[in-house]
Amino acid sequence: MTFAYVFKRLLGTIPLLLGISLILFAIVHFAPGGPLDVYADNPSVSKEALEQIAKAYGLDQPAYIQYFLWLKAVIVGNWGYSIRTGRPVLTEILLRLRPTFELGGLALLFSLVVAIPLGILSATRRGSKLDGALTLASFAGISTPVFWLALLLQLLFSVQLGWLPSAGYQSIGDGSLFDRLAHIVMPAAVLSLATIASWSRFIRSGMADVLNQDYIRTAYAKGHGLLGVIMRHALRNAMIPAITVIAVDFGTVISGAVITETVFAWPGIGRLFMESMDGRDYPMLMGLMMMGSVGIIAANLVADLAYAALDPRIRYG
Amino acid sequence: MKLTRRATLQTLIAGSAAFATMRAFPALAQQKGGTLRVGLTYEIDTMNVYSTGFLGDAQAAVVEGLLAPDQHAKYVPVLATEVPTIENGGIVVAADGKTMKITYKLRPGVKWHDGKPFTSADVKYTWEAVKDPKFVAESKDGSKQVESIETPDDLTVIVNYNTILPTFASTLFTFGIFPKHLLEGTDLNTSSYNETPIGTGPFKVKEFQRGQYVVTERFDDYWRKADNGDKLPYLDQIIFKMIPDTNTLITQLKSHEIDLVVQTPYNQSKQIEQISGIELVKGPLLSWQHLDFNFKRPSLADIAVRKAIAHAIDRSVLIKVQGGFPQPIKSPVVPVFDFFDAGTPEYAYDVALAKKMLDDAGYVVGAGGVRAKGGERLSYSFMIQAGRADDELAQQVIIAQLKAIGIEATADNKTGVAYREARYKGGYDLIYGRWITSADPVYSVFWGTGGANNGQSYSNPKLDEAFKKFEATLDPAARKSAAAEFQKILAEDVPTISLTTNVALIAKTAKLKNFLPNPTNMTNFVNTAAWYMA
Repeated sequence: MTFAYVFKRLLGTIPLLLGISLILFAIVHFAPGGPLDVYADNPSVSKEALEQIAKAYGLDQPAYIQYFLWLKAVIVGNWGYSIRTGRPVLTEILLRLRPTFELGGLALLFSLVVAIPLGILSATRRGSKLDGALTLASFAGISTPVFWLALLLQLLFSVQLGWLPSAGYQSIGDGSLFDRLAHIVMPAAVLSLATIASWSRFIRSGMADVLNQDYIRTAYAKGHGLLGVIMRHALRNAMIPAITVIAVDFGTVISGAVITETVFAWPGIGRLFMESMDGRDYPMLMGLMMMGSVGIIAANLVADLAYAALDPRIRYG
Repeated sequence: MKLTRRATLQTLIAGSAAFATMRAFPALAQQKGGTLRVGLTYEIDTMNVYSTGFLGDAQAAVVEGLLAPDQHAKYVPVLATEVPTIENGGIVVAADGKTMKITYKLRPGVKWHDGKPFTSADVKYTWEAVKDPKFVAESKDGSKQVESIETPDDLTVIVNYNTILPTFASTLFTFGIFPKHLLEGTDLNTSSYNETPIGTGPFKVKEFQRGQYVVTERFDDYWRKADNGDKLPYLDQIIFKMIPDTNTLITQLKSHEIDLVVQTPYNQSKQIEQISGIELVKGPLLSWQHLDFNFKRPSLADIAVRKAIAHAIDRSVLIKVQGGFPQPIKSPVVPVFDFFDAGTPEYAYDVALAKKMLDDAGYVVGAGGVRAKGGERLSYSFMIQAGRADDELAQQVIIAQLKAIGIEATADNKTGVAYREARYKGGYDLIYGRWITSADPVYSVFWGTGGANNGQSYSNPKLDEAFKKFEATLDPAARKSAAAEFQKILAEDVPTISLTTNVALIAKTAKLKNFLPNPTNMTNFVNTAAWYMA
């Protein structure tokens, strides 16, 4: 019974998330520096002002009390207040989710559309020049640093050609669909490069395994064409190993793309994480990392359910 | 074609030379209109000047205070009609000399962005709001020294201080004034004022998109007029775009998507100079780098060793490793201030002399080339804040220069809380770091006996006396002579070696005129009303 299974899994995430939150809390607090360090060079911020800020955010309490205060704020409140902006953590995060989902979602959809045909093409022509070229391109794609590629694209399309805005979410006073597309193209392309490269490799190897199976030969023997065999018989089975990777990648969308969002001044979760990290904004960091954890756990659950959907032999109960 | 245009522009805009020329012909064609797009390297946290963790660049175009520091770090009147002094009767010291009373005459006819008149009640409310312990903010300086405020009429504010506070101008009312009619009775921590503040400044906030931009547009009822009678401000709009990555900032300068960046990294200067239509302006800053000693080490309490170290340091190398941009200094009072004393003694770079001084004081070169005397080796732990590339380079240079005179220094760098603890409690022998002050600096916190930032265990009654004179008098001449006195004592007793001061590298479009770099923590944006695009 799938429903009971899902319920059991969801129940299991509660102790898991508690454990994760404890570890994250410890890491965040043990990291060198603290939220008040930004004032280190400035002698005109008085000791009283610092003490008052510490008190307002509970930073003067022992660590375990701070943890329980945070836990309480997560369960019954607004996840605490950002030390940097003074606004509720939940408000700040919700504000950044849309840009992040747009960018991450578009990049992954694009990756899916490109990676599956590339993987199939590579697998059906194993050992050919095309396969070799695609393999080489994949390794290049995986190894290309995001910030470098971003800079090159910006220099080409924004500085040299002047076709696209180099950064930002929308033009001021515009924000039409076309304007937003113009802004999202480069960051989405940069973000999808590595996923296309890695996913197409997984699909290629899954496909290569399946294409050697007897039932594929049988399918051909029954008179199915190449396309029919691949789409109806091979792809479903070949996708099972790739599903895990793809699902987890979708799960990490919620954490935002730290580097890409920073380089392209994209107002998403990843950049919020970067800013919060710089300022050691404890409540903000906790909120963001817990969301990321939820994303990964959810993605794993979805992947497990997807196996069952793709392969009738797999049952959970 | 492109190349020649670029080359021509370069000869035209050779950095600050062009800036000087520009200021020589200020009144050519002040045009009304135009949009200025500013690139900020940080995300604006709040538009509230009292609680922001940053300098308040965008805020300064929107919110005004009673006074503001100008490009020479001197206070000029803004919403007040003059800077209160003893001579003009604005400051009255009580008969017992322990308290003072400051009277501000407010500018008539000033309107808030919503059209309501600005009055003395707003000033009084600002003090009440800032000192309220429920309001969480870091810039509360100067609020608890105020005993009471009287507002005999709409345009007069009398501030009764419970002490003598010569630095009154760099605190409270200079940051900005709150509109009482909008904020009274609201919670300032959560108010929408923090995103769309109503001020009296030349520009009003039209739109604040978190993590993206702030759009400000001309306030048509702004009070200030130009010297030639023009209505101010000239610009239609100033847009502040938040772009955290410096490479992207430079790209946006290149693609002409932004027109002004007030702080660009030193290592990008060559690139920026190549961009057509963009010029690089150097603006002084009120921060400086210093090497300090911990007096708990007997050898460092020996003035001969400190003087020898002063002679052993070659500032030109320190400047070179930092891209050639910092300027050498000999006093913690940076040269922007008019109470900087040019007559302060200095120590020339002279390795032979430094060695001779150590020889004469009885420090003999021993094992490993390190000097020692009476069982104490001149081997020191040397702290900087870890992770600061410029500081790490400077540290290496200083270590090498000390080695040349037989002194060993070993890097012991820390970050975060560990660094702060060590800095304030003296967990080091040598420390290299940086301080930044307001336009009205107080120096006793650094080297006064028991000063809040004095982690060196340094104490000098003569110096304390000079600081006290400087910090407790309101008379400019007396302040200047007290400043000269403490600068001389610091130079002669060498508890600190003042090494270099910094410049801001400002990248701006050549079209922007009347831009004056401001060295203070009140930012470059205090003068936006007069800016125009040619």
